[in-house]
Amino acid sequence: MKLVVFVNDYKEPPILDRLKADKFGIVFVQNGVYHCTLKKDGSTSALLSKDAELYALSEDLESRGFKAEDVDSKVKVINYEGLVDLIFNDYEKIIWL
Amino acid sequence: MAIKKYAFIIEKLPYKSETSRLALTHAIASQTVEIYLDDGDNVEPVIAFIGEGVLNCLKDQKALDIYGVTSLEMHIKNALLLDLRVLVCKEDLEKFGLTEDQIVMDAEELGAEITTEVVPYEQIHQEMESADHIMFF
Repeated sequence: MKLVVFVNDYKEPPILDRLKADKFGIVFVQNGVYHCTLKKDGSTSALLSKDAELYALSEDLESRGFKAEDVDSKVKVINYEGLVDLIFNDYEKIIWL
Repeated sequence: MAIKKYAFIIEKLPYKSETSRLALTHAIASQTVEIYLDDGDNVEPVIAFIGEGVLNCLKDQKALDIYGVTSLEMHIKNALLLDLRVLVCKEDLEKFGLTEDQIVMDAEELGAEITTEVVPYEQIHQEMESADHIMFF
């Protein structure tokens, strides 16, 4: 299964640890983008150490005052068009957490 | 004849919900109640950002271009323009690795004369103690 998960809040969804996929992606959208831009108490978000392809939506980053260079190097910044391509070309299933 | 102090405490993140925006619009709107009050009565609001709420204060928010909604940054600047006190918790800024350079500290371009105050949580707590009403958003 090729699975991509949308994370839209600045909390770690407990279910993430239980999801398994041959190809696993996490897309940080809305308030989820704080995971890939901030180091709370000096530590990066635990979500960035998941064995997954990581993406962040540029529009949601910019809306909140962030630029692509503020994003952790493990995360690929994509725009809405890139996100549509990703969903249609790279993954079979989508979960919105 | 009395001044009622209202503390608007914001701890929610912006945009996913309207909560933090409501805090700011309520605080700004509180300035208009003067016309309904007796002479000598008034409302004194203070706005404080704590916890994750400090992330509402980041500069260069492009929400108007992307979401079509006024950014929280602009609401904060409007609050400063109306001489509302805006406090940001120093400890919580540091927790997220942020500095004053990265947040809205003034609204000079709008003509505001006061600036955001980055203060220890203890000072925000004192503001809550001295307020007649505390509202959490």
